[in-house]
Amino acid sequence: MLDEIGAALVVGVLTGSVYSMVALAIVLIYRASRVFNFAQTEFGTTGLFAAFVAVELWGWNYGLGILFGLAVGICMALATERLIIHPLRDSSRVTLLVGTAGVALAAIGIQFWLNNEQPIRQMPRLVEGTAAAPFGTPVTYQQVITFLVLIAVAVGLVFFFRSPTGLAVQAAQQESTASELVGISVRRVSMLTWGIAGLLGGLAGVLAGPNLTFSAGFLTFGAGAALLPGFMAAVLAGMRSMPGAVAGGLLVGFVEQLGALSIFDEVQGSRALLLFLFLLGVLLLRPQGVFVREKAAV
Amino acid sequence: MTILQRKSRKRARHAKADEPVTETSVLSTEDTESRESGTAPDATKELPRVTESNGEFRPSAGGWIARLLTWAVLLWLLLAVPGNVLSPFDFGVSDINLAIAATIFAIIGLSLNVLIGYTGQLSLGHQAFVGIGAFASAYVVTDLGLSFWIAVPVAAGIGALQAALLGAVSLRVTGLYFALVTLAYGLFAEQSLFSFAEITGGDGGKPAERPAGFADDHLFYYLCFGFLVLVLWLDWRLTRSKAGRALQALRENPKVAASYGVDVKRYTLLAFVVSGTFAGIAGSLMAHHQQIIVPGIFSFQLALVFVVMTVVGGLRNRIGVVIGSAFFASLGEGGGAGDGGGFLERTIGLPAEFTGIVIGPILLLVVITLLPGGIGQLIAPVKNWMLGKRFDRHAGKLKEVEVSDVRA
Repeated sequence: MLDEIGAALVVGVLTGSVYSMVALAIVLIYRASRVFNFAQTEFGTTGLFAAFVAVELWGWNYGLGILFGLAVGICMALATERLIIHPLRDSSRVTLLVGTAGVALAAIGIQFWLNNEQPIRQMPRLVEGTAAAPFGTPVTYQQVITFLVLIAVAVGLVFFFRSPTGLAVQAAQQESTASELVGISVRRVSMLTWGIAGLLGGLAGVLAGPNLTFSAGFLTFGAGAALLPGFMAAVLAGMRSMPGAVAGGLLVGFVEQLGALSIFDEVQGSRALLLFLFLLGVLLLRPQGVFVREKAAV
Repeated sequence: MTILQRKSRKRARHAKADEPVTETSVLSTEDTESRESGTAPDATKELPRVTESNGEFRPSAGGWIARLLTWAVLLWLLLAVPGNVLSPFDFGVSDINLAIAATIFAIIGLSLNVLIGYTGQLSLGHQAFVGIGAFASAYVVTDLGLSFWIAVPVAAGIGALQAALLGAVSLRVTGLYFALVTLAYGLFAEQSLFSFAEITGGDGGKPAERPAGFADDHLFYYLCFGFLVLVLWLDWRLTRSKAGRALQALRENPKVAASYGVDVKRYTLLAFVVSGTFAGIAGSLMAHHQQIIVPGIFSFQLALVFVVMTVVGGLRNRIGVVIGSAFFASLGEGGGAGDGGGFLERTIGLPAEFTGIVIGPILLLVVITLLPGGIGQLIAPVKNWMLGKRFDRHAGKLKEVEVSDVRA
């Protein structure tokens, strides 16, 4: 039993690092545009497909392929901001949400369409092989790298938000009119935020993809579904705290993995059940978020 | 109407706008309006109307004939053509399957319209409601051996019950958080509830017999059409009731509605329950349409398509929602129903499973950026004309698009 919980902890933290990246991007975008970005994980899946095409079909170098995937993720995020979010900035949040869901659906549809020949794909890993096997669960190098990249991204974001640009971004998110008055271009800040979100989504895609086989909608509802866990992590962070998003992602990963315990063997889909109950519990008991001090303005 | 008349009308409107808004002037305009539209002058039971009254416009004899002819053509298209009665076309098996899927999707669209359009809450787990209705109906017919006419009310009741339970727990949070809860509920239903092989028959699916006398596709279409008319009527009655006006008020501004004595939670829950009931009916029809219902089709993607088709159809516009839903169903999203695929596959050779999910979202994005009222806004002039009003190109334009905002 203890071994099982230990294994759940290890696997949970490793899968949770993908959730953390998604949650970070969701929180960033929520702070900038006040929208629940349902297209976030599709930035990742699209980037993953782009990287796969570059590496496997065009025979590019692996590193170049990854960079191409990230670039595609960023471009998609920027296009979403320009074409959907910006024209709709004055409409209600539900409209914006439906808009991002439309982007996600369109991306999934195009992936299905172009990938029709062989729906299930396998991306090679950065480093093949198993790093260690704590509590009897094999941990691949890929998963370790994902976790390390998450830490690097988190540290990088900390430094970014201390820099003048980062401070400008924070100012524009908190009080857009006032920051316009002191000479911060809210438009550029919005683009920058969406670009970072696209980068985070792309990272989540190209890092999570090689662990499993993938198909269209991989990160949204496929094998590596990270959309709902990412949102839950963002809710835990009160939709505003970025350290909270990282911690929330790891916690959600752990809670989800508890569904793999042997006492839940009889229950079908125990992970989805646990996530649903966990989300309900969090929203009913602490709707303002767990890893956050101030009250969230939702 | 002559130009002179139009000018004088305009002047009158200007005068109205220029008047200082005193209580007497407000009352007097309300009085004239209610007298014009011929309703009871009880101002407390009637919401003040912002729309322009129709004046004394009466279509000429030719206008009446044209309208009657259009109505006849519409009814012919909806009732005679699918049954191959009085029709030069050969309405085949795949066509009738698409028509059935269209009516079922229209019911689902109306169900979501009650929730999104009337209360401004978003459900991303509607595939679960439809699916549970479908399996409940299949269970009643196949395992309990009861009739279809018992299965439909049971499915509707179970839809209402689960909406009541989920809503009672989760409607404490509203707006985007409520959407998240329904999303989690949908995934939970998809992965957990629908994998109980005793109820859903596992991957092989669960058989669901059609009722006696409606086994034929064409007759089953009329049955589904009847249910669509029933749901439309219920929806219409709901919006005309006290509850409907309360819903309208709380969508515009929950705080103001609450201060006027509208119990916001109770009415939102009511709308959610109504939505769940409609979804249950649609699920039941879907099960008996496909005759073998598999759990695999009730995926998150289907929930997204439901939301998309409702918004494209035009929120709070019944006819628009019906047309939008039918359109998406005919794109081949009919839950795997159409044997020959959607009409685009047969006309321009695009595979159906892709056209729906490629064209649909693009349409959605066009609609919400350019045409906030959706298809409903597009067809509003025609609809008004057919109801005996003047053909006005600007009818149905929305000033304020949406929905439960937290801006207030």
